[in-house]
Amino acid sequence: MSPRRVGILLAKEFLYGSRSYMFIFSIVGPIVISVVISLALGTWLADTPKMGIFDEGNSQFVVMVQELDSVESQEYDSVNALKQAVEDGKIDMGIILSSGFDDDVTQGKPAEIKAYIWGESLAKSRAIIGITISDTIRELAGQETPVEINTTILGEGASIPWNDRLLPFIVLVAIFLGGLMLPATSLATEKEKRTLPALTLTPVSLSDVFLAKGLLGFILSVFMGILILILNQAFGSQPLLLILVLVFGAIMAAELGMLLGAFVKDFATLFTIWKTAGIILFAPVFVFLFPQIPEWVGKIFPTYYILQPIVELSQLGGGWSDIATNTFILIGLDIVILIALLAAIKKRQYAIIGT
Amino acid sequence: MTDYAIIAEDLTYYYDDLTAVNHINFQVAEGEILGFLGPNGAGKTTTVKMLTGQMKPRGGRAVLLGMDVAKNIEKVQGNIGVCFETTNLYEQMTAIENLNLFARLFGVKPFYAIEYLSRVGLEGRGKDKVETYSKGMKQRLMVARSLVNRPQILFLDEPTAGLDPASSEAIREVILREKERGATVFLTTHDMMEADKLSDRVVFMNQGNIVALDTPLNLKRQYGRRALKVKVATGSGALEDREIVLDTPETPSNIQELFMHEQVVTVHSEEATLEDIFINITGRGLTE
Repeated sequence: MSPRRVGILLAKEFLYGSRSYMFIFSIVGPIVISVVISLALGTWLADTPKMGIFDEGNSQFVVMVQELDSVESQEYDSVNALKQAVEDGKIDMGIILSSGFDDDVTQGKPAEIKAYIWGESLAKSRAIIGITISDTIRELAGQETPVEINTTILGEGASIPWNDRLLPFIVLVAIFLGGLMLPATSLATEKEKRTLPALTLTPVSLSDVFLAKGLLGFILSVFMGILILILNQAFGSQPLLLILVLVFGAIMAAELGMLLGAFVKDFATLFTIWKTAGIILFAPVFVFLFPQIPEWVGKIFPTYYILQPIVELSQLGGGWSDIATNTFILIGLDIVILIALLAAIKKRQYAIIGT
Repeated sequence: MTDYAIIAEDLTYYYDDLTAVNHINFQVAEGEILGFLGPNGAGKTTTVKMLTGQMKPRGGRAVLLGMDVAKNIEKVQGNIGVCFETTNLYEQMTAIENLNLFARLFGVKPFYAIEYLSRVGLEGRGKDKVETYSKGMKQRLMVARSLVNRPQILFLDEPTAGLDPASSEAIREVILREKERGATVFLTTHDMMEADKLSDRVVFMNQGNIVALDTPLNLKRQYGRRALKVKVATGSGALEDREIVLDTPETPSNIQELFMHEQVVTVHSEEATLEDIFINITGRGLTE
């Protein structure tokens, strides 16, 4: 394997492959889906999370929260006014602070915050407000405190808004359309046009060709994953972890694309397989779309291990401990697919080249 | 360093029950043009693929430039050029981009694509996308591409098949210039005239076996029949054909008799073609 030759082939893929319909569709498709969903659900360019507070005493907590940029806060003069604001969707969450809240917190006594959540508020908004409350109380107390937050969901909306439910689908399209389909279609094109034998009769090896195409898919997949998360304002509070998960997800997509490209002979076969195998890839999306489906169903499918960490990090405010197991399973799956891919290239070398 | 650019040792390939190439042996000297002839399905393309490392022989071995192809595939492929029968260019690219890509993959520096295009008469179309080219132009570009690494061995698979006379002539000139440069040329063709004109030696393949290997002249001498085709005038003024077979004990006396007793109008010599010889050896034509 030669990095120089892989680089030349990769440059060729970017220069000439980028003119292909699949390349353009891989970029435009997820963006259009994302924008259409956001516009349809009214969450396009959603604002900063809004929090309402009814303070029964004169808590320092209110002052501290108002100084923050991460949430927009507003004080209400009655519980009813607060609840009405939540119900009308004017704020994502409304909290009630008891009269002795500051004293309880500073003395390390158990304190209670009653919280009302708008049913159609975005999960990330809830997560951001939740983290903000927790951090502010910690700052107020100067120590970890046993605060219990009791939440009640108000309004007509579902407990998980559709924008959040659809995010896994959009992210998966972004990762797999480019990551899987570009290497697969590029290899199928080389086979159809019989250009693979010409390439492999230079000092270029078949592995060089596969790596270049896989890298193209990988780069586009990571780029599109990040872009879609940015467009959906779903980057959460752990961007590096999120990028790490996207990287391993993109590796899976590119590996599957190369594996598919190793077996299909032409475009027609490729799209037939895509239509049927696509169900397996996109099946976990239904677990996130319809939470009543048991989670174990999603765990049967490999792409669940991409989606769960992304949802955990971007919507639920989770950290490494919440995604570690599934991320390691994802890495394990990447390794298994890589082994299968290398075996396929070795065993089917002449069939792939078309000789 | 061996004197042979190509050595096929007991080269064998079979698909299930069908033997495509049956234990063939031959050598090609450095700087030689070898014509590789045979009908469809004779095993020519399979042999070329084994020699160039595109297929792994089921038996025997191929040695190119003193290197076992199976063991030194990268080195071997860096020193050979292959022109395929079927067009396999990047059609969305221009001719210059196609040549530059392959030059970079071979690590050729400096490389001037226009020089190679001018060798095949395409210098004026270098910046056009290949998809706008005619079949003949694409074939000429394929030949140019096979030359970018200045190969020591050039494999050409039916390089002039279905081309117009001008394109065919341009490619033949390239082949002869490559020979002058010192390259060995392995030419697979159906065109007997072309093989006869260009090849130092020819191989006849039939059903996976080599049935003849020699210079065209020797094959004609060994298997062919030479004759004089004569037109004579009869008493009424009409023309009649006469034929005198050459290379027989009776030839001198037959010629003498003809000129003594007939009014000879025209005399032409006729040699056997390679196709005649192939039919003579195998009992079947090259296009069957």
